[in-house]
Amino acid sequence: ESMLRPAGAAPACLVIPVRTKKRFSVPEWARELTPEQKEKRLKSLGAVIPEERIERTFYLACTADIIDPYIPPEGDARLTPLSRDGLKQKMDKLKQTAASQLALRKIKNHDPDFSTKTFPEKAQEIFIEAHNSLANFNKQKLHSLVTERCYPEMVHGNRYKTIRWSFVESLEPPRVVHIRCDSIVNRGNLYGQVTVRMHTRQILAIYDRFGRLMYGGEQVPKDVLEYVVFERYLVNPYGTWRMHGKIVPEWAPPKEPIVK
Amino acid sequence: WLASSSLFPLACVHTRTSLQKSGKWEKKNRVVYPPQLPGEPRRPAEIYHCRREIKYSRDKMWYLAKLIKGMSIDQALAQLEFNDKKGAKVIKEVLLEAQEMAVRNHNVEFKSNLHIAESLTGRGRYMKRIRYHGKGMFGIMNINRCHYFVKLVEGPPPPPEPPRTGFDQAKEYVQQLRSRTLINTL
Repeated sequence: ESMLRPAGAAPACLVIPVRTKKRFSVPEWARELTPEQKEKRLKSLGAVIPEERIERTFYLACTADIIDPYIPPEGDARLTPLSRDGLKQKMDKLKQTAASQLALRKIKNHDPDFSTKTFPEKAQEIFIEAHNSLANFNKQKLHSLVTERCYPEMVHGNRYKTIRWSFVESLEPPRVVHIRCDSIVNRGNLYGQVTVRMHTRQILAIYDRFGRLMYGGEQVPKDVLEYVVFERYLVNPYGTWRMHGKIVPEWAPPKEPIVK
Repeated sequence: WLASSSLFPLACVHTRTSLQKSGKWEKKNRVVYPPQLPGEPRRPAEIYHCRREIKYSRDKMWYLAKLIKGMSIDQALAQLEFNDKKGAKVIKEVLLEAQEMAVRNHNVEFKSNLHIAESLTGRGRYMKRIRYHGKGMFGIMNINRCHYFVKLVEGPPPPPEPPRTGFDQAKEYVQQLRSRTLINTL
């Protein structure tokens, strides 16, 4: 018999129905009150409940987009400075736009050390450091050099790839081209954005997961003209200038890279 | 100290919780090789893919996995499409998913240039249930689940090994006889 009903079998439960008196009605004093009745009762008692608003503070360290993007003149860096159009472009200096001047004054209020002459060199240093730490995957440093809006743009899709980037030389000295200052959410919450034009020579090589060359080449330097936007949270006394994004001119759309 | 299953604190360390933990096969896709030097031959891309807890028997799935091993991906898909088994549909979906993953994420140029290097089945979680027989008898039945693993490699499929003929065996025998050394003789 033990073979037919081995140990660990399903327990046989006996359900014996028992007849008890059925109680379906809850007495009135034990019934649940509707929320309106509850409120009326509490008001009559005189109890005051303070309104609890659970606020979670958030800190905006950077703006979401480039304010009033700079429109680079057509054919920039494609015309020689000797032709007449080239000279005209050279004449387009920062001082022509009034909005940039206003913004520059606002920035100097908060940061007296700022000057359009020394800033481009610092900006180029930040640019080179940021790309080097991108190639080495040094996330801590990259976060300190690049704003939160720019970081995912730079890092997306690169997790399983090896990037080799090096800076050869700068063909023209970088110069400040466009300044804007804006406040978001509250008035007086100032963020300053400065666009720097850089014409440089760089080497870029991207290898995929298996070590095969995907884009670029290690021995091929390319001339690059870029308009890089740097941003700083002006109201914060410990804020630093960080890379915010790049402006792609309409007359030079990014070409489809040749996959090898 | 690894967190064991959430049910009892005395459970064994090796139980699996309901939250899907990353298995070893999925982690193989995260290996990054260092960049190759320009003189080296191009390393073929390897893509690992799997599907867990398929409601099918592991032994029945093994027949399909053995069928596909070593074929190119187009041939494998064609064979599975006209196969009558239930597992064939599942494996076909897995192969199509893996092919798409390869083209999108792993920098594979041609989606037909893949062949199946390994295809394995594994045992999933079994559940025990009561199967009711007549006369109050019962049996304990297993609800079988299996995993299916596949590894796609870029490139044409390797040529099949030629079968061992009697001539090969004879040659090896003669070679054995010739390679004997004689001791204590001139």
